[in-house]
Amino acid sequence: MHEQYSLISSETPVISNLNMLENIALIKEFHEHMPTSQAQNIAREYLQKIDLGHIANYRANQCTSLELFYVMALRALMSQKEDIIIVTPLLLIKKIETMNAIIETLKRLNDGNKNILILDTHSNELYYKGCRCNIIE
Amino acid sequence: MQNSKLIKFIESIGDAALSFLASIYEALHFTALCLIHLVQAKSYSPAMRMVLIKQIYFTAVGIIPLFIILAFLFGSVFVGIVIVLAAKYNLQSEIGSILVTFVLNEFAPFFTALLISLRSGAAINTEIAVMNVNKELSTLKHYDIDLIDYLFLPRIISGIISITSLAILFAIIMLMSGYIFTLFYMNMDLHTYKNLLLNALEFSNFVVLLLKSIAFGFVTMMIPIYSGLKTQNAYTAIPISVLNGMVKLFIAIFFIEVISLLLQSL
Repeated sequence: MHEQYSLISSETPVISNLNMLENIALIKEFHEHMPTSQAQNIAREYLQKIDLGHIANYRANQCTSLELFYVMALRALMSQKEDIIIVTPLLLIKKIETMNAIIETLKRLNDGNKNILILDTHSNELYYKGCRCNIIE
Repeated sequence: MQNSKLIKFIESIGDAALSFLASIYEALHFTALCLIHLVQAKSYSPAMRMVLIKQIYFTAVGIIPLFIILAFLFGSVFVGIVIVLAAKYNLQSEIGSILVTFVLNEFAPFFTALLISLRSGAAINTEIAVMNVNKELSTLKHYDIDLIDYLFLPRIISGIISITSLAILFAIIMLMSGYIFTLFYMNMDLHTYKNLLLNALEFSNFVVLLLKSIAFGFVTMMIPIYSGLKTQNAYTAIPISVLNGMVKLFIAIFFIEVISLLLQSL
């Protein structure tokens, strides 16, 4: 049974023996049989779009939790699945004060207009204050 | 009282037998799946081919300098022993066929398999076990990336290619280093040594070398992969997984060696 959504959670970490570029490009290489260089160029463009071009050749242990989160988000955006579910992002990203900037960055990246759903607990409600997104309790 | 103890004893034997058979079935099923994927064209995506190239580099190319030194050292020592023994038992006329059979059919594939097992088998077992414990395998599954196509097949193919090519290289170096020994021990010139080997060479020697290398290559990668995949969800389970995998791998290598000796003696 294959899930109909891309998941971003602690259950789907980045692959440690690949660099960030390879992690993002892998989905297109595998599912669309896209040549490696082409898939990696797309991945690089997306990383540069959010000023993370410098982490392209980094491995997971060289990245911050926020950088890893964005790589996971980009990987999910590369997938052909229409829905992306982010589960408790605050468990993945350490030391943030608000989700506002992250949600804005995700909107900027989401040029394919995928449905992005964030699942979080009531205790984290404060982090979403002022965010331009629909909050359903 | 005694009856219930006996029943429990028989049940425990039954349980052990059933779990043994189940694990054998599971391993054979996994092997069959890998073989099916091996012959399917759709398994060979760009991502898979990239992993395959990297794996061949790590398994075969990276080891070449050490491998050449070992082949030279072991080659001159073992070929020397074979020649001394042949001379001792008045088998000088058979030296060519003894050397060719010993080097091509037995020593080169066996030694290469042992070396690659120690170097790459253990590394692959650890790599898969770590990926399993870190939930990276579940990431790949979630994104519908077939583990056999993307992770296992490149490693299995690289194992087969690496062991076969390195075994051929090992045999060539071993036979060449053997010349040094014959030169000093028997005063044999290169032309005589070359003719001795060429006259002894048979097509069957190449077939045995090739088949054994392929079999060794397959198990050298397959068993560590399977062992890594079966690792329980804890970091402390990783060394146990590697230990179990390596023990099973060495048993399999010796098993192949024995089977090949039996088949050759028929």
